[in-house]
Amino acid sequence: MLKHFILLCASFLYIITSEASTFEIKELDSGVYVHNGLHEDISEDYHGDICNLSFIVGNKGIAVIDTGGSYHTGARFLEAIRQVSTLPILYVINTHVHPDHIFGNKAFTKENPIFVGHYLLPDSMELRKESYLRSNKEWLGDDFNGSEIVKPGLTVKTTLELDLGDRTLTLTAYPTAHSNTDLTVVDSKTNTLFTGDLLFVDRTPSIDGDIKGWISVIDEMSNGTFKQVVPGHGPTQTNYQQAIKNEKNYLTTLLKDIRASIKKGETMESTMDTAAESEKGKWLLFEIVNRRNVNNIYHSLEWE
Amino acid sequence: MFKQPFTKWTMIFFVAIFFSNNAFAESDPTKWPVVKEAFFNKRDISDAPFIKLTAPHRAESGAQVPIEIFIDKPQSDADAIKNIYLIVDANPIPLVATYHIKDMIGKFRLATRIRMEMDSYVRAIGETEDGKLVMASIEIRAAGGCGGNVDNNDEAAIRASAGKIKLNVNEPIQLGETNSATFIIKHPMRTGLQRDLVSQGYVPAFYIQKAIFTYNSTPIMVVDFGVATSEDPYLRFDFVPSNNGILEVNATDNEGKNFSKQLELKI
Repeated sequence: MLKHFILLCASFLYIITSEASTFEIKELDSGVYVHNGLHEDISEDYHGDICNLSFIVGNKGIAVIDTGGSYHTGARFLEAIRQVSTLPILYVINTHVHPDHIFGNKAFTKENPIFVGHYLLPDSMELRKESYLRSNKEWLGDDFNGSEIVKPGLTVKTTLELDLGDRTLTLTAYPTAHSNTDLTVVDSKTNTLFTGDLLFVDRTPSIDGDIKGWISVIDEMSNGTFKQVVPGHGPTQTNYQQAIKNEKNYLTTLLKDIRASIKKGETMESTMDTAAESEKGKWLLFEIVNRRNVNNIYHSLEWE
Repeated sequence: MFKQPFTKWTMIFFVAIFFSNNAFAESDPTKWPVVKEAFFNKRDISDAPFIKLTAPHRAESGAQVPIEIFIDKPQSDADAIKNIYLIVDANPIPLVATYHIKDMIGKFRLATRIRMEMDSYVRAIGETEDGKLVMASIEIRAAGGCGGNVDNNDEAAIRASAGKIKLNVNEPIQLGETNSATFIIKHPMRTGLQRDLVSQGYVPAFYIQKAIFTYNSTPIMVVDFGVATSEDPYLRFDFVPSNNGILEVNATDNEGKNFSKQLELKI
């Protein structure tokens, strides 16, 4: 009992200190700022701050790339942005539909930005709304209060340029890969690529789209020459070719192993235990995310 | 970092367990009396320790939750189970499927994949020839599986491939012994609850309704599917063929289209 009590006190202390801690922002390059989320799974031990949130300051105003998993996280991010610049927030860009990237949007509406996303994003948000609101409320409890779906008013079918004054952002929309709404951003001034979840570093890549589509998109991405790359999850990469290679290794191994299992007549359940085992140890949250990936894509690969 | 056994987040997790009733919704036991009333009215249901359900405690994907039903009791018994109702309490449409057990089944073992919208009890209710009901249940945590595939808008392609069947029996085939058959049918299994953003209504239900399995023309199992059976319905089941012959499946969708496939078993 005493042990429990000490455990509780310690936990409260942790909560208090973590709440009081600042929302850390790094200046990556001239006018480019990134907040690195924590590597928690998106389920019960999730706190709405797991992906990278970025902003770019031009001389006319600011563009924000992703807003976090809750109004609470979005509000803390906005507060951190305001410590850096008081210029208007012109654009809030969502790199795709996943809840860890979009539920902070609501914290930015009072700044009257133009919300920007993939052309399939508005419908995708609408169709997933009910389920996302329920599960995120369940995971985050009161920390999810105030969170709402805010859809883009400006959408991208192929590419789009956004003018921030002394710099231009080029947005590119992709066919189904990590998700059905993937969008990347390139900042002209610093030659920085923001991949959204098309690139995972350290954290196991999670698939909610088309594994084959994703492999071809990252092949395309590896042809670029960028000064640095900000992934959807994990630290910024200057040697991003290695990061792309790691991700491609994981995806191709997973695909190869699932195909081999199907050919041998092994079940989905046993494949969840064995596929991509050689990649284990190279990635965070592997046990959870890898099994989920197999569960998500196995049935579609049965029909190849 | 994540491998440390006692991180900040583990601690917060413990606190949440201690102090919160809402933060983690558990499977709701109050749904069952309502579901029971709807399906079985006032009939008595007793526990069935001989029915074993195997499923993940926490489903990785609510859209394709693997579950196996095994009845540890020969079908030749006088009081054998003849029908199995698979039910997810918390789904908007709880009935996953009804499996009618016919001939050559030996001991009933069936694996399938189901949709789960939220944490729920999942139940297999067995019915004997004379209408006695028995039940086994399991708790599964899952989320968001009833939306269906919302991202594929190519209706012509979906319709063109709907109804393709794969039918296999694991090698080596053993006559007079238990063999494992696998049946998969390509189908979107639309629930009728998925929203249609163009019409502002709902996408009409479109699903496989029935599959009849026969061996040398004798029925071995008949399945009535509900929309909580996952997209591309999957069944793996045991059966005991005593001679060489033809395993055949005839499936029907709710629009009246028929799909069939035969597999020759020969030693």
